[in-house]
Amino acid sequence: MSRISIDPITRLEGHGRIDIFLDEEGDVANAYFQVPELRGFEQFCVGRLAEDMPVITNRICGVCPEAHHMAASKALDALFGADPPSAAKKVRELLYSAFYVTDHTTHFYALGGPDFIIGPDAPPGERNILGVIRKVGLDIGRQVIDCRARNHHVIKTVGGRSIHPVAGLPGGWSRPITAAERDEIVVIAKQNVEFALFTLKVFDDIVLKNPAYLDLVTSDTYSHATYYMGLVDERNRVNFYDGMVRVVAPDGAELVKYHARDYASHIAERVEPWSYLKYPYLKAVGWKGFVDGPYSGVYAASPLSRLNVSDGMATPRAQEHFERLYETLGSGRVNNRYRPVHFRLATHWARLVELLYAAERMLELAEDPEITSPELRTKPGPITGSGVGCVEAPRGTLTHHYEADERGVLTRVNMIVGTTNNHAPMTMSIRKAAERLITKGKVVEEGMLNRIEMAFRLYDPCLSCATHAAVGRMPLRVHIRDAIGGIIRTVSRG
Amino acid sequence: MRTIVVGLGNPILSDDSVGIKVAALVRERLPADAGIDMTEAYAGGLRLMEAIAGYDRAIIVDAMKSGAHPPGTIMRLSLDSPATTRNTLCTHDGELSTALALGRDLGLAMPESIEIIGIEAAEVEQFGEELTQGVSGALPQAVAEVLRLCGVRDFALKRGRP
Repeated sequence: MSRISIDPITRLEGHGRIDIFLDEEGDVANAYFQVPELRGFEQFCVGRLAEDMPVITNRICGVCPEAHHMAASKALDALFGADPPSAAKKVRELLYSAFYVTDHTTHFYALGGPDFIIGPDAPPGERNILGVIRKVGLDIGRQVIDCRARNHHVIKTVGGRSIHPVAGLPGGWSRPITAAERDEIVVIAKQNVEFALFTLKVFDDIVLKNPAYLDLVTSDTYSHATYYMGLVDERNRVNFYDGMVRVVAPDGAELVKYHARDYASHIAERVEPWSYLKYPYLKAVGWKGFVDGPYSGVYAASPLSRLNVSDGMATPRAQEHFERLYETLGSGRVNNRYRPVHFRLATHWARLVELLYAAERMLELAEDPEITSPELRTKPGPITGSGVGCVEAPRGTLTHHYEADERGVLTRVNMIVGTTNNHAPMTMSIRKAAERLITKGKVVEEGMLNRIEMAFRLYDPCLSCATHAAVGRMPLRVHIRDAIGGIIRTVSRG
Repeated sequence: MRTIVVGLGNPILSDDSVGIKVAALVRERLPADAGIDMTEAYAGGLRLMEAIAGYDRAIIVDAMKSGAHPPGTIMRLSLDSPATTRNTLCTHDGELSTALALGRDLGLAMPESIEIIGIEAAEVEQFGEELTQGVSGALPQAVAEVLRLCGVRDFALKRGRP
């Protein structure tokens, strides 16, 4: 048996490693995705005051502090029995929409898009945002940087601090929006809508109008028929900030819709000896291994998953693009809703539909008369002992669960973060891509490895920002080993 | 000449926080009129590039985990150095050198000089606010090194004597 290790995974994960084992024939025997987990977060938190959690949890990772801040604030609402006034919910959702705009924009232009805009087989040094602007034009780069800057400005204004917001409180929000700030945010939200439409046009021109890319997107190599999870509003439409957790089966039938506080009744976590990661799965279906289909409890939680569980988008232009996605890639409707799309690379398209939704929703909220209300806080009541807060992080459903004693001192902390939901699907996607791409007699080349990474990158996994990559370079080393571990051949980049 | 000092890392991930702790100590010791800005950042990528845009010079302090040096070893690196620090690349927004090239392509003012101080870490996978002993012991020297780069030699400046 020989082994191929992709270490580290370019652009996404310094700690992560993909190991591909080949049998004597040169076919893929197995593929693993491994990552050392950061330890001790629960111990770090226990004994602290619960109300500190919005500013502690947003330090876990610099990529989505806003998502942790929101989930933590919502968990505190429940822990202190203080349902925020409607204006506070709107202000939170406004900040969260601005965050989604920056996050999805960054992923498309810096991480996911280059595989299509530059090409999956292009040298890795060109498959980045620099390559994108060199191909599509400097103006796109300016728009990306401007989009990030104006939305970071909104996050700082509304959240009280740049990067790591501080305004979330049990029962509400500490900082009202002034009329002048509102006017500025309206302008920014309108720019975001235009930018999202422009980005969908880029996707349309570069990916959808290219038959080779459409074939790639719809190829079996990148397809898995699993269950899907996401938050939906009262009309079963996508919502990032609030709602019920809906899970649908591979054929689109609703398996369950539950309140996030009941997550432990529906989700269990599988432990495998070869990885620190846990693999969440649906209790009602059960763990059947790394396989898809209706009898396997594996589920995905991603932009495509959110669209798959919903009946539509809550804003008009996002709804048009939602329909276009399903009319183009889907297999018809059943019970008045589209059947799920299982082509995982379509996640990139779904992310852009969500980008448009986030922009439109931000504009709706900014124009809501209540958004400048100073009534942003419900006074906390007696501590209930337990609180669950759930939002859709860009990378999947994010759940915080805190337990505290009568003084508000934390006694237990549990979190299921966005990426964790997708550990099993990511492992399956990597295995399948490796099996299809590496077969006996084929020389393992750089482009092939990138196509395996694409199976992983589409989930936009966030495992840790830390990396051991060289400053200014991102090496990728692949060792092809013989049965006793000797290196037969090394493919490297960087 | 406008200079920015960036403390890079995760403030609650044990030795990964060393860059932030060094930057905070430097801030205390710098005279108010030194004309040097300080900031903290988690990682970057685009975010780090955006933070240092508009400055002539950036000094980045970050943890490193080369495994080749005892914890607490202080290294001066550049963007071209083969050695490594931990947080100049972000899983979500890319690597610093690409982001800098993007900034230059877009006509943003990127620093002429970027110096990186890497401090060898021991524990970077366990949450905690404290540094391990070897890394903690390196703080005074790391702070002195950054102050020296900033052109501040006398710790007495902290007490307000120019």
